[in-house]
Amino acid sequence: MAEKNNFVMICIAILGLVTVSFGLADILVSAGGDVTGLSILEIPGDMFRGGWGGLIVLFAGLFYLSGCKNVAEVHNASKVAIGSVLIWIMAGTDIFAMITESIPGGEDGPWFNSLSGFLGTYAPPYAPAIFLLPFSLVVVYYILKQERAR
Amino acid sequence: MKLNPDERWDLIDSIASHVVTYGEYRHTLKDAIGELTVKPMTGIPIAIAVMYCFWSVFGSFAGTLCTDGFFVKLFDGYWLPWLQEVFPGKGGWLYSILIDAGGMTNGEFILSDNCFEAFGVLTSGLFVAIGVVLPAIVIFYLMLTLLEDIGYMPRLAVLIDTVLHKIGLHGYAIVPTILSLGCNVPAVTATRILETRKQRFIMMTLLAIFIPCGAQLGIMEEVIPGLVGYVLLYLVIGYFIFGFVLNKIVPGKSPEILIDVPQYQKPMMANVRRKLWMRVSSFFKVAVPFVLLGCVVVNVLYLVGFIQWLGDLLAPVFVGWFGVPKETAGPLVAAFLRKDLAVAQLSVIEMTQYQMLSAVVLVSIYFPCVATFAMMLKEGWKELIGSVAVLAVVVFLYGGIIHLIGKLLGVA
Repeated sequence: MAEKNNFVMICIAILGLVTVSFGLADILVSAGGDVTGLSILEIPGDMFRGGWGGLIVLFAGLFYLSGCKNVAEVHNASKVAIGSVLIWIMAGTDIFAMITESIPGGEDGPWFNSLSGFLGTYAPPYAPAIFLLPFSLVVVYYILKQERAR
Repeated sequence: MKLNPDERWDLIDSIASHVVTYGEYRHTLKDAIGELTVKPMTGIPIAIAVMYCFWSVFGSFAGTLCTDGFFVKLFDGYWLPWLQEVFPGKGGWLYSILIDAGGMTNGEFILSDNCFEAFGVLTSGLFVAIGVVLPAIVIFYLMLTLLEDIGYMPRLAVLIDTVLHKIGLHGYAIVPTILSLGCNVPAVTATRILETRKQRFIMMTLLAIFIPCGAQLGIMEEVIPGLVGYVLLYLVIGYFIFGFVLNKIVPGKSPEILIDVPQYQKPMMANVRRKLWMRVSSFFKVAVPFVLLGCVVVNVLYLVGFIQWLGDLLAPVFVGWFGVPKETAGPLVAAFLRKDLAVAQLSVIEMTQYQMLSAVVLVSIYFPCVATFAMMLKEGWKELIGSVAVLAVVVFLYGGIIHLIGKLLGVA
């Protein structure tokens, strides 16, 4: 049991560190004002998505780190859950923005986007929060399982 | 039947034994998450994230999808050219008021090529009301209703209580403040949630001056997307500075509050639908007639030369003190009827980015729109006169300060 807890703690701590790094990268890049792309990863350079969004990703990482020790305890579990909720907010708003961009056909185009244009909107690169989304879901699944077992 | 004290206690015990369940209390994950959202250290980051989500969804839905995606194309590409074509009397006064005020170049009447510039009742008026304001208001009230029904709003009230006490209000003032971001009219009514006259006066004054309505936000998002953040920053700073000053000079009490914070819960879709419909429909009953009437009045004022005269009269104040072009006098007059319309008018005046920022902030803090004005009058004429007096001072002082900041930064 103790070994399992240690493993979970290490996983959440790593996720926390990665999330903090992404948050800091978002803030620093947006301070520079340029969009930075690394293959399938894109860090937005605007003040809203990069600056405020980066701050939220940073907070999410700090929540993970502050709750990773003994995640079986309800108060720590709640901090980790909130960290995940912040990631969902960021990733959810990014995905929603993609959806709203993908539907209309553009200023001079037809009313609705073509199929290739529609699918093309969902192609990479993605913002950091989208990469963190699957991990945050796994973390919350684990926490909810713990809560049911309690 | 009269009971003695012992019999009363027996009755209480009997009722309690039927309705109260005893057991060991277990702190659940839901409870712990609820606590985190009201503690400042953890609650503030969560509040920032919630507000981010609010504005991101607002911008994506209202701006990207509805207005830019479909309504601009519909109104600029089809509706405006069709009306310009079929409506008789091009260049005449009725044509200018209803369809397109246009412009004169070398004695020739030039038609506008988009609804922001046409200023006709059936073109700009309908575009603003349906193409810009409708999606903005629908998504704004949907998000607000969801936050209320999930149970986040009382937590936000607890979280912000300490800060709002510094300006003589308490946590529940967040309700009229956020409602006001949709429309100032229901927000003025919502100030009744505050206990004392002092609190109601401060709240009414601050929301009339410093809180832009959803319609105005929708237009700002459309015509000056890069400046919206800065405009809001200036307004938030002004909200707290002048709130602090009002708290010091307005006599009266600012009592504490006791809030019952409910558990987080899943919103019931039927309730969300009902609330959304109620809010959007009542907004439209108030807003649409004023948008259309605003177009008529402003066009008439332009046609009779009143705006030109006023611009010339106020030029020293506008150019010298506020640092904006004298042409902004027109939108400021229009702002009394509809602030959203005024921002749209500002967008076609040539000026620097900082001048645009100053002008939009001025339009926001300038006189409340006539619908809000009528609502404030209903709450009491003394309060209205007081608010207008404060407003005049604030516009003059804050407008000058913004100009000064621009000068110091070398951008004005």
